[in-house]
Amino acid sequence: MVLLWASIVFIGLLAKDLIVILPLAGFLLLGYTGFLLLERGYRRSLVWSILAVIFAYIWLKKYTFLPAGIFLHCPYFTLGLSYIFFRVLHLLIETGDDGHQKPRVGPVAYLLYMLNFTTFISGPIQRYDEFARDQFADEPIPLGPRMVALQFERIIRGFFKVNVLATLLHAVQDDALSQMYQPLPLSLKLFAALRLAIVYPFFLYSNFSGYIDIVIAMARLMRLRLPENFDRPFSASSVLEFWNRWHMTLSNWLKTYVYNPLLLLLMRRISSVAMQPFLGVFGFFVTFFLVGVWHGRTSEFVFFGVLTGGGMSTNKLWQLALTRALGRKGYKALAGNPTYIAAGRGLNFAWFAFTLFWFWSNWSQIDRLFAALDATQWIGIWLAIWLVATAALGSWEWLRFVLLSLRTSDGPLLASRYLRVVFATALGVAGLVITVLLNQPAPGIVYKAF
Amino acid sequence: MPRRDWILLPALSLLTICLMFVSTELIARWIFPTLPTVGEDCMVFDDPSTGSRGIPNSECSEKLPDGELTEYSFNSCGHRAGMECGVKTPGAYRIVMLGSSIATGMRVPRDETFAALLPVELSQRTGRKVELYNEGMPWRPPSVIALHFDEVLAAKPDMVLWVLSPRDIWNESHPQSLPVPDSKASAPGSTAGLVLAAPYRVMVAFAQRSVPDVVRNLWDRKKTGFLLRHYLYESQSQYVKSYLMRDRDVEYLKVEPSEEWQTRLQQLDGITTELEAQARVADVPLVVLLVPERAQAAMISMGDWPTRFDPYKLDNELRSMIITHGGTYIDILPALRHILNPEKGYFSVDGHPNAQGHAMISRLLATELTSGAVPALKVATQSQAASGQGR
Repeated sequence: MVLLWASIVFIGLLAKDLIVILPLAGFLLLGYTGFLLLERGYRRSLVWSILAVIFAYIWLKKYTFLPAGIFLHCPYFTLGLSYIFFRVLHLLIETGDDGHQKPRVGPVAYLLYMLNFTTFISGPIQRYDEFARDQFADEPIPLGPRMVALQFERIIRGFFKVNVLATLLHAVQDDALSQMYQPLPLSLKLFAALRLAIVYPFFLYSNFSGYIDIVIAMARLMRLRLPENFDRPFSASSVLEFWNRWHMTLSNWLKTYVYNPLLLLLMRRISSVAMQPFLGVFGFFVTFFLVGVWHGRTSEFVFFGVLTGGGMSTNKLWQLALTRALGRKGYKALAGNPTYIAAGRGLNFAWFAFTLFWFWSNWSQIDRLFAALDATQWIGIWLAIWLVATAALGSWEWLRFVLLSLRTSDGPLLASRYLRVVFATALGVAGLVITVLLNQPAPGIVYKAF
Repeated sequence: MPRRDWILLPALSLLTICLMFVSTELIARWIFPTLPTVGEDCMVFDDPSTGSRGIPNSECSEKLPDGELTEYSFNSCGHRAGMECGVKTPGAYRIVMLGSSIATGMRVPRDETFAALLPVELSQRTGRKVELYNEGMPWRPPSVIALHFDEVLAAKPDMVLWVLSPRDIWNESHPQSLPVPDSKASAPGSTAGLVLAAPYRVMVAFAQRSVPDVVRNLWDRKKTGFLLRHYLYESQSQYVKSYLMRDRDVEYLKVEPSEEWQTRLQQLDGITTELEAQARVADVPLVVLLVPERAQAAMISMGDWPTRFDPYKLDNELRSMIITHGGTYIDILPALRHILNPEKGYFSVDGHPNAQGHAMISRLLATELTSGAVPALKVATQSQAASGQGR
């Protein structure tokens, strides 16, 4: 009940007005009605429930391909809806699927799962069975002093990432963006373009993973384990690997509920053995196209989806072509080659940075940006980003390896609790001071004497 | 966890905090040294009959953390003019400059101020001897400028250049409300003083003021705060964002400013009407220049700002106000759009133009003055102007 009340207070603080929550409440009711129908054996309602939930979602989110006249024109609360959407669909599919053990979900448990404030705004997307395992356990999971300290350390790290790193990186990006539109010499514009493309992925990572660090640690302090959402994504040496490390709960959800069923369906329909590898390519495209579309309601996100899905399927095709050309052993040897890995890491970073242009900007900004330099210059920029990312990320991996190989009798030096206390304290103090400064007005002209 | 860690770990944490603060402060003091004196020590701010003024024949020096050593020499009339007061050099075209701290060239050595650079630039461009007598003085809002205007005209200059900043309009106040200087209190201490004097200062401060005030005051005096601000405000967008958090002081940027700001503008309108009339009678052209604040320059350069703000608004209002009364308005703001990071022409924390900024203002001002704004300074052909710029 503590979690439910905390979640209600949390949403109340964000919404401030009961009326603006009504559409969200309606969405939750729609999901629960579908769940009850399925629980009571109306299996045919599964497809209709899913379609109704998807339509309600795109309607409430005002996707621009729907006619504007059908939208609600009063202000309402949609924060958290994107993640509630996944949780509702997950419950419906699991309840309607014969092959699975059906979850038993009462109205309070349903609300708890949907409105859990630790996952409400930006995930991670947790499965109901994992949530229920901790939330309704007879014996709550242990929480000793060491675990508490580890969670505080993680909160400090997350706070620093969100409030300091992300804020500063965003400022660098803003500066670079404004320089792209200014009448400046070419060298400065090229440098601005380089910064613009390189900085945003790091900003996004700091912001999102920092937030996830905070919520995972907070949930753990409440004896609730949330799934990890990031696993050093920029160490990925391919686009396929990247999406196993970035926003992991989202890609896992889509692989479970879109990729796998789609692949099974296609394999049933298309029996040709020669075609089967390409079914996976198609499945990747569809799945990661949806990743893009889910992120926003405008055509920019559709294009972001096309690029993301295109990147995944091209990477899969590349793997298939190399395997065919070099044989399985040859491809395995190549994929383990450090230079190939480093180049792949750099290329993946450059590709991700490129796709993100459609994530953070709109068409008119993109037009202006691409008009600021000619095609050759832009190609040069992306090649430079590939090279810089290959060198920088490769160096980082090497440094990390060296640091982790420093050991004491108790284990790796970096894992020493003394060192971690020093690091967390320094990060916390720096984070606090810089956050205060960033939120203080800049002085105007200062008269020293006054 | 061993029992000793219950003591050891918190102690380690405390030690880290202390080491961080002390080492950052020492590094900041090493990177950004200052002098215990400031330029304002040579000025009087609490004389309601004159407004702020320089102490005649005085000399002071200061060093801003991120600036260079700056000497202030005031002549027998209390002006930082770089020359004695009196009549103009025979045959020279004399400009008398009025304004507050920006016109005075606060924080910048006199030779690098636009007061020193402009006559050289104008002489080169026009081929005639131009001299500039600087009567600028910090904290001189328009009403204080008006107090001295008849004396300025009595010296028969060829032109009066009035340098305005948004701050001057905002600071428009009666002489009795002028601030009282307290330079001793804000003088930064030595490195040894950091250790010895700090506890005493903290005790005194806590006895006199509220806790948040004391913390803010202590923080503002520490170089650590300066160091962090200095680097944070190097970012154009971050500086603008932080600057726009200010409430009262950004009224001049607001599309819909407060009534208080509009009242200040009306006061300014009244004063300019009066000054224009006096100048017309004396047959001396009055030229008004708006020097933008650092954030205003950054916004113009970025070409993008939040919808409730407009960095050109005050510029447009002043132009209309000055031209209506028959004066000449010099508009340098649009040119900032074509300059990379013009905010780097200002001290990032102090906000006054630095040497780079003074050079920028001088260049833009000379271009406007010689392109027909003032007929006597008009350069005959474009090629001449271009060759002047090239120099």
